[in-house]
Amino acid sequence: MWDGTISFSLVAIPVRLVKAVKPGRITFRTLHRADYSPLARRMFCPEHEQIVPPDEIIRGYELAPGRYLPVTDEELESVSPERSRTIEIIDFIDLDEVDPVYFDHPYYLAPLKGGEKAYRLLAEVMRRTNKAGLAKFVMVEREYLVAVVSMEGALAMITLHYSEEVLPDNGIAPKEAKLEAVEKKRMERSIRNMTAEFDPAKYADLRREKVVDLLNLKMKEQAPVEAPVLEEEEGEGPADLVAALEEIMREVKNKP
Amino acid sequence: MPSGTIWKGSIHFGDSHVPVKLHSAVKQERIQFHLLHRSDRVRLHQQMICAYENIPVPAEDQIKGFEVEEGKYLIVDPEELELTTPESSRMIEVHEFVKSGQISPLFLDHTYYLEPDSDIKAPGYSELAELLRGMDAAGICTWTMRKRSYLGALQASGRMLRLCTMRYADEVLTAASLELQEIDVSEKELKIGSDLINQLTAPFEPRKFVNEHQQRLQKLIDTKARGEKVVLLRPRTLRPTPPDELLQALEASLKKAA
Repeated sequence: MWDGTISFSLVAIPVRLVKAVKPGRITFRTLHRADYSPLARRMFCPEHEQIVPPDEIIRGYELAPGRYLPVTDEELESVSPERSRTIEIIDFIDLDEVDPVYFDHPYYLAPLKGGEKAYRLLAEVMRRTNKAGLAKFVMVEREYLVAVVSMEGALAMITLHYSEEVLPDNGIAPKEAKLEAVEKKRMERSIRNMTAEFDPAKYADLRREKVVDLLNLKMKEQAPVEAPVLEEEEGEGPADLVAALEEIMREVKNKP
Repeated sequence: MPSGTIWKGSIHFGDSHVPVKLHSAVKQERIQFHLLHRSDRVRLHQQMICAYENIPVPAEDQIKGFEVEEGKYLIVDPEELELTTPESSRMIEVHEFVKSGQISPLFLDHTYYLEPDSDIKAPGYSELAELLRGMDAAGICTWTMRKRSYLGALQASGRMLRLCTMRYADEVLTAASLELQEIDVSEKELKIGSDLINQLTAPFEPRKFVNEHQQRLQKLIDTKARGEKVVLLRPRTLRPTPPDELLQALEASLKKAA
């Protein structure tokens, strides 16, 4: 996914970024009605009316409608050369000070060869001191502010929102309110009665369970269809590039 | 001011109902790139292509299948799937309360600010916020919004209530999945490491950090748009600290920090 170094002061640890989250959503493949062949997402040029292979795809910034400025990976990496291969911890902070509103997406860092001992040290020391490391790093075309935290002996890295992305909340909370003593007492009793240990495994996605039920029912009622066998492997270039492009497209689509 | 109301509902636990409005707490704006065809710089679109025939397939010829084994699919009708969407409701049901600190940050997803719904006479909002703050508690709750069921944590921030969506347990990978090997680190190294981290500790001031990369990226785009040449810089790489030099590096770091 991403290989680089995490550093604090004069210590540098080679690490790989790995996923900490996998979507639990049940996924369906989109198939061609005519032959049940699975469909693949490909980039299509409306001008040439053809599928464009990854090596003919470039990135562009829209200067004006329909006018694009091409930007290469080398140029993008050149924007912040000190951060594209290095997660440099600038400060350590008390983990409790981080307002959860800042948390965005979690990853794990896994040690690469030779880095295991320093990795273990950093994880253990942050656990003992209840500290997190604050760092900045750049991946593809984005710079992330991240918190590196110790998690069950491993290092997790959570991307944080920038403070300018956190919307002000003024005007939402009620002004100095006079509290209703009776209501408060009643609520407090409920809260105490309902207090438990945090155990996320207790909660399942009800939607997902219903989908599984549906699929199990259908399995009994209808036979699965068979997709035609492909003659050769899809010669679409390196798979990771396709995945990376799809990732970029998702980000484009998710733009609010 | 925060963004507009995105959803309205009512927090429910015990005998209490607290009507609230949800507002997004976060807004991301980033420079976006598009994918172009190298030869003519035409913007590309995504298209679904039949892997067998290698032709674009229009939406009306697309069907959904669940892969039961390799190459075998159970065809699922969209109308059948529609039946599995949760019933819409306006209830944010609190199932239990936990200590806030017990919730691992890996579970937290997206935060919403809750506003008391003043269209309905809303007692309880301020009382609940004060209780959750005082007891350092979070309510674990579920609700349905935009045809999706959510799991979330209800927490207080000052006098305000906030709701943070949470990932389901099976969506969060455990640290054990990394299969890290046990490695001995000496007490001396741990002691110096702890001293060093304490030396380097500062208050969390997110305002200190701006997205410099975004500003530099804009500069790069402006430079290129003027037709000027861009100097390419190589990414900096650091030499990993070898295990037998770790203690030395820690001691040198501590000396530097002092």
